[in-house]
Amino acid sequence: MSLKTLTKPWEAMAYGFLDGSAKREIRRKMIKAIAVPGCQMPYASREVPMARGWGTGGLQVSLTLVNPTMRVKVIDQGADDSVNAASIRRFIARVAGAPTTMDTLDADLIQSRHRIPEEILRDDQVLVLQVPNPEPLRPVQPNMSIARQMHADADYGRMWLQLYEQIVRSGRVMQGASYPSLVHGRHVMTPSPIPRWDVPKLNMAQHLTILSAGREKRIFAVPPYTRVEPLVFSDVPYKVEDHADLTCHRSGTRGFFMNEIPQEDGSSAFEVSDSEWGVKAIRRRDGEEVALGETWYKNGRMPS
Amino acid sequence: MSVHPVPSDFEARCNAAFEAVMWAMARPGLVRDLPTTGMAQLVEALIDRECAVYCAEPGLAELAQKAGALAVAPDRADHVFVDDIPDRLLTQLNCGTDLHPDDGATLIAKADFSNGPQLRLTGPGIDGHVVVSVGGLAHDFWQHRRRALRYPMGFEILLVDGARVLGIPRSTIVEVL
Amino acid sequence: MAYVATRGGERAIEQSQRLFCAEMGDITPDRIAEIRAAMPYLIDRIMGEASLYDEDLAALALAQTGGELYEAVLLLRAWRTTQPRISVAEPVTQDALFTHRRISAAFKDIPGGQVLGPTLDYAHRILATTVLDGQVSTPDPVTPAKMASPPRQPSVSAWQAENGLLSPATSDHLTGNDIPDVTREPLLFPAKRAHTLQSLARAETGGVLALGYAAQRGYGQAHPTVNELRLAEAEIVVTHPRGTRFSAGRVKVSQAEVVSKKGSQLELGFSATMGWNEVKVIAAATLDLNSKGAPKGSATEEEFFLYHTEGVESSGFCIHFKLPHYVTFQSSLDAMRDAKARKAAPEKSPEPAE
Repeated sequence: MSLKTLTKPWEAMAYGFLDGSAKREIRRKMIKAIAVPGCQMPYASREVPMARGWGTGGLQVSLTLVNPTMRVKVIDQGADDSVNAASIRRFIARVAGAPTTMDTLDADLIQSRHRIPEEILRDDQVLVLQVPNPEPLRPVQPNMSIARQMHADADYGRMWLQLYEQIVRSGRVMQGASYPSLVHGRHVMTPSPIPRWDVPKLNMAQHLTILSAGREKRIFAVPPYTRVEPLVFSDVPYKVEDHADLTCHRSGTRGFFMNEIPQEDGSSAFEVSDSEWGVKAIRRRDGEEVALGETWYKNGRMPS
Repeated sequence: MSVHPVPSDFEARCNAAFEAVMWAMARPGLVRDLPTTGMAQLVEALIDRECAVYCAEPGLAELAQKAGALAVAPDRADHVFVDDIPDRLLTQLNCGTDLHPDDGATLIAKADFSNGPQLRLTGPGIDGHVVVSVGGLAHDFWQHRRRALRYPMGFEILLVDGARVLGIPRSTIVEVL
Repeated sequence: MAYVATRGGERAIEQSQRLFCAEMGDITPDRIAEIRAAMPYLIDRIMGEASLYDEDLAALALAQTGGELYEAVLLLRAWRTTQPRISVAEPVTQDALFTHRRISAAFKDIPGGQVLGPTLDYAHRILATTVLDGQVSTPDPVTPAKMASPPRQPSVSAWQAENGLLSPATSDHLTGNDIPDVTREPLLFPAKRAHTLQSLARAETGGVLALGYAAQRGYGQAHPTVNELRLAEAEIVVTHPRGTRFSAGRVKVSQAEVVSKKGSQLELGFSATMGWNEVKVIAAATLDLNSKGAPKGSATEEEFFLYHTEGVESSGFCIHFKLPHYVTFQSSLDAMRDAKARKAAPEKSPEPAE
């Protein structure tokens, strides 16, 4: 035995930045997360050269999965060129030598903050969602240990009560994004702060979704072909945002989740949130040959 | 400075081995290709000094020990590597607790995908159902598994045949045809 | 209309970073040396919070970030995760510490004496503004004492234990890699003792102070007395693979023991960190003291203060609110507008029963 066998050969940085032990822990926890859909698995969560709260959890998963042939797409609020997405994409490319893409159809790995792309993801694609708060019970229980017991007991009564109170007070469920959803009929999960529009895309999907909270140190997953059911009352159906009839003023695409852009005259213009979808729509309109994938929403509605 | 990082062979093998395992777990019943044959690649990809491991094969046990894992009996292991599955092993495997389902173990064992009883699998990761042939296990293996599991408590199984792997997470319902 | 013009993200980041760094100008080896010489307590603070002891790296982190402490600690922690872990040093006991400063508020005098060491405790807090007029401020020379203070002192709590005033902490006898490491395992509650002590060692000074202060003001059950405050140096003893035990050097450490009365005994709270940081260890030891028996979900419960004194996590999350949130905002607006519309819509009258 020598000092040489105790340490690995010196390199300025490990491939993919994360050292082997960080990757192995994430791999082990991902296996468990996939095995118990929607159940939060704790992990140590290493420090990476990015502030906590800015996607370190998603980044650790991406860095664990990435290899030099894996095409990586990174979006924030649906946009590839948002500063945070650009920063993360640059980092992954730099430390892993992985090719990057903005085209959902072209990506093997999609790391996203708060949106699921509009084009249907395939069974060879992995979606990594950044999660600020992994605990759906937090609004009714801020203490993580007590919340853990509630999940263990499938004790979700207070969650239902809160939704019911909203209906009584405001005539509808007021939950915006992060709509609590029952996974595989057993664990209530937060789908991360994606809009209500996006939650149905997780139900019985073809793709694998990994959700990772770096700061709060939890990983959970939705395997393909797994039920994800937003908590609703039988007489108060699930309602997505009212964007079915909106048109993007830049690209002309219609019936997808939009960003509202306040105008000086007090009105609003709308712009499709999935920015690359918008770009492809513009290119198609301008006569370019570009592949537009099949979308979950058709004519502004999700077929049931 | 633009340096294109390149993974070492070891790193590339670990990455590919885990990718196969990840998809094996995410799509139970669909066999995946590993980068090479045998279980050593799985020890390399997964095992660390935070693990407590039982390896039946001495060479593999040494590899796990070098990785820093603690060598323990099967009932205290978070990872169990065996070729043939001894009777009663399933009753010994750690199933975690309802507070910590992640403490449930992962069992890695040899199997034969080319012939054996047909299994019909349903559950998360499976589009409807999938039928797969798995030989080399005791005839009452799946019965014992069903008895040992109490979702969300339970354990995961990775079956290895040469350079191929099949995953059966605790969420999968297995029916012997 | 081409969309390409709107893709300014990458260019904007690049320039914003340059704008930040332009203010600090060249970072030179001289600057690093100057920071090291001029700011030892700041360096100690960030080394403790980063749980990485290297004065040059700490000085570099300060230089690179222009003194933005949260960014400096993040830099050091990110560096730390990339470094190989060669060995775990032997445990250090209080009476083996090479002690520069050791005081107790519990007794007027103690075995080993009250050693004031370097401190501003009794100074008049007056700015030396003559320096701004061009004069050099030279500190008055130290007059050595007739007798040097002993380099090592026994702990006060050991004396109290011998006198049946408190039950000493019992060691779990774990060494080396068997010691739980909070940077390699998730922090779960109830927490392992090692995880608690490590978390407090790495905790953000201001956060610990705020919560410790709250506990001291009565939000905690226990009223603390400083049993012992120590600023010292600890020997890092490691074993070479061939078997030789040797010291890899010394690091500055601070530690505090606080006690309070609980029935007929004293209860003990403890905290230690790398570098010299008195405020942090006293506040942290106070939190430790108050955590036993704290009501579940209260601010003096371990789960509360350990979560919220984690500086990299807390500052990161705080500034993450600067990130675009317009999608979640849009989702909320949608729900609000719909609720408003429902309220505004006239009630449909029920069908007349006829």
